[in-house]
Amino acid sequence: MLVKDGRIVPDEWQLIDDGAARPGTIAPLEAWRTAPEGAGVWVESHAEVEDIAQEILTAPVVAVRFLAFNDGRGLSFGSLLRSRYAYGGELRAFGEIVPDLTAYMLRCGFNAFVLPDQHQAEVALACMNRMSDYYQASVREPLPPFRRATA
Amino acid sequence: MYHYNAFDQRFVEERVEQFRDQTRRYLAGELDDDTFTQLRLRNGLYMQRLAPMLRIAVPYGTLTATQLRTVAAISRDYDKGYGHLSTRQNVQINWPELQAVPDILADLAKAQMHCIQTSGNCIRNITTDQFAGVAADEAVDARPYCEIIRQWSSYHPEFDWLPRKFKIAINGAATDRAAIGVHDIGIAAHLGDDGSPRFDFHVGGGLGRTPVIGSLIRENLPEKHLLTYLEAILRIYNRYGRRDNKYKARIKILVRAMTAEKFRERVDDEWEHLRDGPSTLPEEEIQRIKACFEPPDYAPLHDETAFLAEERLRDPAFNTWMRNNVAPHKRSGYAIVTLSTKATGVPPGDVTDEQMEAVAAWSERFGFGEVRISHEQNFVLPDVPQRCLPELFGAACEQGLGQANIGLLTDMICCPGGDFCALANAKSIPVAEAIQQHFGDYDYLHDLGPLDLNISGCMNACGHHHVGHIGILGVDKRGEEFYQISIGGNQTQDASLGKILGPSFQRDEVPAVIEKILDVYVARRLDGETFLHTVRRLGIAPFKERVYAMPASTTPKHAPEEMLADVG
Repeated sequence: MLVKDGRIVPDEWQLIDDGAARPGTIAPLEAWRTAPEGAGVWVESHAEVEDIAQEILTAPVVAVRFLAFNDGRGLSFGSLLRSRYAYGGELRAFGEIVPDLTAYMLRCGFNAFVLPDQHQAEVALACMNRMSDYYQASVREPLPPFRRATA
Repeated sequence: MYHYNAFDQRFVEERVEQFRDQTRRYLAGELDDDTFTQLRLRNGLYMQRLAPMLRIAVPYGTLTATQLRTVAAISRDYDKGYGHLSTRQNVQINWPELQAVPDILADLAKAQMHCIQTSGNCIRNITTDQFAGVAADEAVDARPYCEIIRQWSSYHPEFDWLPRKFKIAINGAATDRAAIGVHDIGIAAHLGDDGSPRFDFHVGGGLGRTPVIGSLIRENLPEKHLLTYLEAILRIYNRYGRRDNKYKARIKILVRAMTAEKFRERVDDEWEHLRDGPSTLPEEEIQRIKACFEPPDYAPLHDETAFLAEERLRDPAFNTWMRNNVAPHKRSGYAIVTLSTKATGVPPGDVTDEQMEAVAAWSERFGFGEVRISHEQNFVLPDVPQRCLPELFGAACEQGLGQANIGLLTDMICCPGGDFCALANAKSIPVAEAIQQHFGDYDYLHDLGPLDLNISGCMNACGHHHVGHIGILGVDKRGEEFYQISIGGNQTQDASLGKILGPSFQRDEVPAVIEKILDVYVARRLDGETFLHTVRRLGIAPFKERVYAMPASTTPKHAPEEMLADVG
């Protein structure tokens, strides 16, 4: 079940783990490199963002796989891809995704989340909206509270 | 004291409701054990051997009288009427019902308190000198920086799911009372040549299975860069720290694998991107936080030298207490008092609700309503008028908080051990008690002078045994509890790790072994030489000889040699 930009939506992308990339698929990096046109790219949470950022900037979807729900490396990957390399397409989290962690991912630049079912997707939406503000700067909120204009 | 503004208050309240929802979903079977474990740990809740344990955050060990009363009430309402002061300056309560924890958190939030990040693989409570802001030997008051880091580290988007727990300490005084050498990040705050605060960063220190003293990777960092530089360190650790083996996941292992020099280069490269970015601290923000830690309205008092000299002559017990438990204050006429929780027969750090209420009341009667908790698991009253010291001493004795043993052998650091903790290999509290009973004579203790004795029930080293002048580690061999003894550790500046004497001992042998170690010290010390210095001068050989020289009739009871292989 896909949550994207704050809504539960049908997933128009097909994740493939072997074979050649085609338009409309999200393929592992190696396969994507051979046919990037119209395809999304699958990277692992521990990928070296510095090594691949330039080539994946053009991908319509960058899908980061979390092998464990508490693998914080994907959070750094997302933050860096958005803030340092200004990636503007869909940044998707998939793999071991639990609703409560999407609140962190959202702030690290992810805007799409693959959840196991409709209920989990609904819980994720609630989790993302639970806290009204945070202490830090993030991809979502580039200024920490102490730098924002006070009303 | 820092007081919450509307932002801070809303943050803790929303965090409570978030946890209430997580608990509800767990009890309804919607969250699996593994996921809920990680979520509850980030709110300080452990499931222990007997029942849950809730660790309440006491940011940098400072709380108000009202907050301490809140903790006392919670220990009464939800626990068996006592709490445990931890080595991270927090307070733990045992036996709360899982269903009740959201309500406990709500009670805490009303008193501007929380349990956020007191456990789990995230940035833990920032600790500092328990005398910060009042110590006579202080250059920089570390509390505002601790608060700045507390806010920055709370629910951080990127650094709340680290490879392992992460501990930061700051010390701003000449004496390091915050043990910065054994923290993931230890910050030494001092004044630069221009008179402004500067920070030296020591990274990769820690205890546990692989005890290491941290490496200095940055000197003289100006205060505005505090958060961006921390971000650079945490990002390198979050990305490259090991996640495949929890015993190799602390930053110290990464620093060692990369070498401190390479680690520093990686951090500096990362920092080049972050410095002067949005997390750079504006002067107004630093001033806003510092304003919360302005000195209270001290009365223009004079030092009570003559009065105190007279009282000390009149009452030898008061004299001893003055010598050990009372430290010099920045302001004339005031003193800093440490109230020892280390009474014989009481687990170190354990305090009753009644004692908490009493300490809260004294903090108002003999100060400005502020209480500190030290990492040595004692209470501190930071602003006691010298004139009131005899009265406070009398009241403390009545409450069982008048032990005059601060810094002495019986002022031990001790983890909860196998009586309470699911991780422990061995019990630690009965060892502490046996030592306290064996060495009850104050005159002998004073003759021994400053002596840190630290006890851990397992290699996780919550009792900081590696940095005790004498360290005791509980180990398990074939289902039996043994105790390994090391000497020569030190937690303050010039930090060092203790050396293991040899094969371990059974529990009932420990007090006699400690006595033999002390006999060697007393016989071989030079004039005015402390235990630590004697050990450093002589090495461990003479102590080892004495301890393992058994009379022919006694069968050695110590454990087989191979168990030492467990120890890093």
